[in-house]
Amino acid sequence: MNVKKIIECEQNKFTKIINFRLSSKFMTVGIAIVTLSIVMMFVRAFALEGDTEWLKLLLQKVLLVGLLIMSISRDKEEDEMITTLRSQSYAIAFVIGVVYALVMPYVEFGVDSVVESNVSEFKNLGDFQVLLFMLMIQLLFFHNLKRYR
Amino acid sequence: MENTIKVERAILNLTQDDLAKKIGVSRQTINSIEANRYVPSTVLALKLSEVFKKPVNDFFKLVVTD
Repeated sequence: MNVKKIIECEQNKFTKIINFRLSSKFMTVGIAIVTLSIVMMFVRAFALEGDTEWLKLLLQKVLLVGLLIMSISRDKEEDEMITTLRSQSYAIAFVIGVVYALVMPYVEFGVDSVVESNVSEFKNLGDFQVLLFMLMIQLLFFHNLKRYR
Repeated sequence: MENTIKVERAILNLTQDDLAKKIGVSRQTINSIEANRYVPSTVLALKLSEVFKKPVNDFFKLVVTD
């Protein structure tokens, strides 16, 4: 195999990865997983007793998986405009997510200082909070961009 | 960029939906192109050119701000 063929092969694989989307049916699966995990979070918080920290962590991961499935599932009428809108929504979500991750800890610290008498220590955001925010922003912007196209 | 897709479509007596089906996009995409909210790719422009049997330059025009 010569160098040109290797480059072509790599480009094809790269294009396949970039264009990877789940079937549009997975949108329903994603919504079901997200709904179920949110319901289970409420059940855990208000109905279950004992040490359920492991369940909380598990449900957080399941929620992220559900949102990711929703995010990468194909639209019913997937065309080049939808692909462009999806790219725009990912770009917006990335920028807002980074700003959120940088600013939110200071906001939380500020609010904590005002509300509570003894100032709590400065905490960075967890991966769940940042990823949840970014996925939600992406889905929100994508569906709004689609609505106003 | 401006376009006269609406006019070309009317000449061929095609609805937005008909044109969308012919070139394999959604009706909303045709609507956005006609309203100058979306600039199509070269592939889509060439598909439109095939449907209208005219060169792309005939129905897509650059404006001063482009």
